[in-house]
Amino acid sequence: MISVGKSVNSQQSIVNIKKYFPLLPVYGIYLLLFLIGIIYPEMWSVVTLLAFYCALGQAFNIFLGMTGYVDFGYVAFLGLGAYGMALGIDVSHQTGLNIGIIFIGIILGLLMATLLSLVVGAVALRLRGAYFAIATIGVNEGFRYLIEGAKLWGGSEGLIYFRQLNEAMGREKTNVIVTFWADVFVLVIAAISAFITLYYMRSKIGYALTALREDEDAAKVMGINVTKYKILAFITSASMAGMLGATSWGLKYTHVFPADVFEIHYTVEGIVIILLGGAGTLLGPAAGGLLYGLSKYWLGAMFPGIQLLIFAPIILIIIVAFPEGIVGTMKKKIKGTVLERYIA
Amino acid sequence: MALLKLENVTKRFGGLVAVDKMSLEIKEGEFIGIVGPNGSGKTTLYNVISGVYFPENGSIIFEGSDITKLPPYRRAHLGIGRTFQIPRPFSSATVRENVAVGAMFGRLSVNVEESLETADYYIGLVGLKAHRDKISGALTPTEKKLIEIARALAMKPKLLLLDEVMAGMHPESIEKMIRLLKEVSEEEKIAIVSMVEHIMRAVIGFAKRVIVMYRGAKLVDAPAQEALNDPRVIEVYLGKGIRDA
Amino acid sequence: MLLQQLSGNLTQGLILGAIYGMATMGLNLIFGVMKIVNVGHGAFIMLGTFVSFAIFTYLGLTPIVAIPLAFIVGFALGSLFFYFIIGKLTNAPELNSLLATFAIGMLIEEVTKFIFGSEWRGFTWDVGRVTLPFTVLPITKIYAFIISILVVIALYLWLRMTRSGTALRAVVEDKEGARVCGINVDRMYALSFSIGIGLTVMSGVILTFFISVGLNPYMGGAYTLRAFVIAVLGGLGSPLGAFFGGVIFGLVENGSYTLLSLIPGIEPFSLTRFVTFFILLIILLVRPTGLLGVK
Repeated sequence: MISVGKSVNSQQSIVNIKKYFPLLPVYGIYLLLFLIGIIYPEMWSVVTLLAFYCALGQAFNIFLGMTGYVDFGYVAFLGLGAYGMALGIDVSHQTGLNIGIIFIGIILGLLMATLLSLVVGAVALRLRGAYFAIATIGVNEGFRYLIEGAKLWGGSEGLIYFRQLNEAMGREKTNVIVTFWADVFVLVIAAISAFITLYYMRSKIGYALTALREDEDAAKVMGINVTKYKILAFITSASMAGMLGATSWGLKYTHVFPADVFEIHYTVEGIVIILLGGAGTLLGPAAGGLLYGLSKYWLGAMFPGIQLLIFAPIILIIIVAFPEGIVGTMKKKIKGTVLERYIA
Repeated sequence: MALLKLENVTKRFGGLVAVDKMSLEIKEGEFIGIVGPNGSGKTTLYNVISGVYFPENGSIIFEGSDITKLPPYRRAHLGIGRTFQIPRPFSSATVRENVAVGAMFGRLSVNVEESLETADYYIGLVGLKAHRDKISGALTPTEKKLIEIARALAMKPKLLLLDEVMAGMHPESIEKMIRLLKEVSEEEKIAIVSMVEHIMRAVIGFAKRVIVMYRGAKLVDAPAQEALNDPRVIEVYLGKGIRDA
Repeated sequence: MLLQQLSGNLTQGLILGAIYGMATMGLNLIFGVMKIVNVGHGAFIMLGTFVSFAIFTYLGLTPIVAIPLAFIVGFALGSLFFYFIIGKLTNAPELNSLLATFAIGMLIEEVTKFIFGSEWRGFTWDVGRVTLPFTVLPITKIYAFIISILVVIALYLWLRMTRSGTALRAVVEDKEGARVCGINVDRMYALSFSIGIGLTVMSGVILTFFISVGLNPYMGGAYTLRAFVIAVLGGLGSPLGAFFGGVIFGLVENGSYTLLSLIPGIEPFSLTRFVTFFILLIILLVRPTGLLGVK
């Protein structure tokens, strides 16, 4: 009897490790990106561009992909994250914390984005479909114009804090952090978001989100507290965005301007990435981020000035021909094969 | 004590009274057929019981506690399960995942592994084993109905509301379905309410008690055979030839 | 002094609001019928301004000529996009149609940029002015006001009086019911999208009667956002509601700008836009079906 119980247990733990196999290709991509950047320093700027798009997709997907709700104002969470970094550095640069101020900035960015998502989530998530999408645009634009109009946090002039960073950490350290570590953090955030995505997928949360994405009313009748799960996905996704904004914008550029960090264009880029890769999948945002970033970079280099003219029809063709994205289409093809275990 | 008790429940949509001062009692493990022509308020009644709509008047008592204002997911936790007239499985998910959702969030709310096991049991029961890992959106309408029944059963409900589940099925499948429902109901003590628009022999074979609804109100509530021979019912279904329809 | 300024600005706001409203009807028509939000809406307004610009500058004709021309251009483009893209997405998730309309907008912008370049363009079409006690109105603005109202009336009559308009309303009310009644729902989709885009491009021409400078391939974004607020004000999906929503929006925008200018230490322009988005959120929360409830 006991030995039977044991074998069941060990089998279960194997099953549990297997559950996380789909992280392998995702982390493989991120590791490869990192190594390419390290080995070929001239590629670092491309690597950072791709890392940002992968992280944006991976974080945004937790909400957009998994719930099917379209948050056009998602960029507001990145924007607030960037402000969090700015304010964190500003208040703590004379405390002698040295590089510790960066973590204060990241945490502040995370907190500010999370707080906003709590407020927006509690209020706007009562709306569905187009109403929700429009409400989130309202939040984002409202925030931007409030900062500019009421001259909050430097108003439209924004905040510049390169000097404060230098004061706190010295010129050399600041340089390394701004040009290297800020981007490494971005990859780390992408990796954390991917882990959370898979954890959600494999737990009750994922089932609840799939159900509410497909049919919210039926989900309720099945016993799912849809509001709870929607808000959970929303907050998770927003807090990742907060950290992403804090590092990839706040820390990397050492300045924040409201016109830049509340630019709806970034939300749309995130949506394109997720849809290209496959909404609601784990590998999709990484694949979409790579594809989007590379084509943007390549088209910009090959056809300067008309890259978007070429890109727009490409997007349209993909939406019509592969509405489920690369990974979504691939998942159907590999159903029943060994590969299925590694792709989610 | 009644499992479910409706007292003077009224639901309006603007000027239209969809359910009109409806009172009703359902006992544990009971088998009831609700019939009524199109637009008689049957679906609205289901929606009011499962919490999709809140009634303007009256109260709904489940196992002695008032659930009139409870959101639908809380009612599911208490043990009210249902299917939809047009099946609504989560179409991008597999059959197994669909049924597992029922177990996962239903009355017992078990963990993922256990839910998948429960799902396998009920998938076998309704005869969908061969389709277990298929994407449910790709199945036929009848198969989708079976998914919904399995999903609702996986919720381990005490009261199961079926919406036109046997419409469009072959006579043999209907008989099989009735047998299955009776077995499950007996085994798990589930009260089952089955709603049909057209009076079929199946109702008589299925339900001990039949409630006939007309214009949002209860017209007849009597033992099956008696209800179907009631002159008022015949009038409602005028020209429909109820006994052999 | 303030009162004079306020009434002057409100008059301007009323005219601009009528144009805004007219410019949002296409968006609402498309949403009402297809439940698709045209995120590329502003690009089509921009396209209209360039039609007007080209007619006036290159052909030397009065921009009035551009009005029917813009509608035809918009209708043709709408049919084209519907046939190849939008029509294939009617059952797809929201995400797909949102991104598709965004990409269509992007395509319009890039083609315009390719043809006209990305510099700011403008023209001066002067047919005199009218002096009121509190403000001076160029006659072109009065044209814009009158034409906007005529377009609204035309749309109203079409929806109420014609077979196709009635069929369209039936689809808005109840898609399945309309199908059962023998209405070709897919044709109504195509019709609403084409007419919606036609109206939107046309509204760009009328916009140039109010402001004929600052034309740029990327000017549409701000109008898309305004149109969203207006659409919600009037009730998403209601073309006539959009018009009244636009009028309210124009009045609020100009009125609050005038008042906010009095407060020192702030930027009235940005804060005005904050006010409009704040109103949007309040309406969405309190009365998401729109302030007016016009069907």
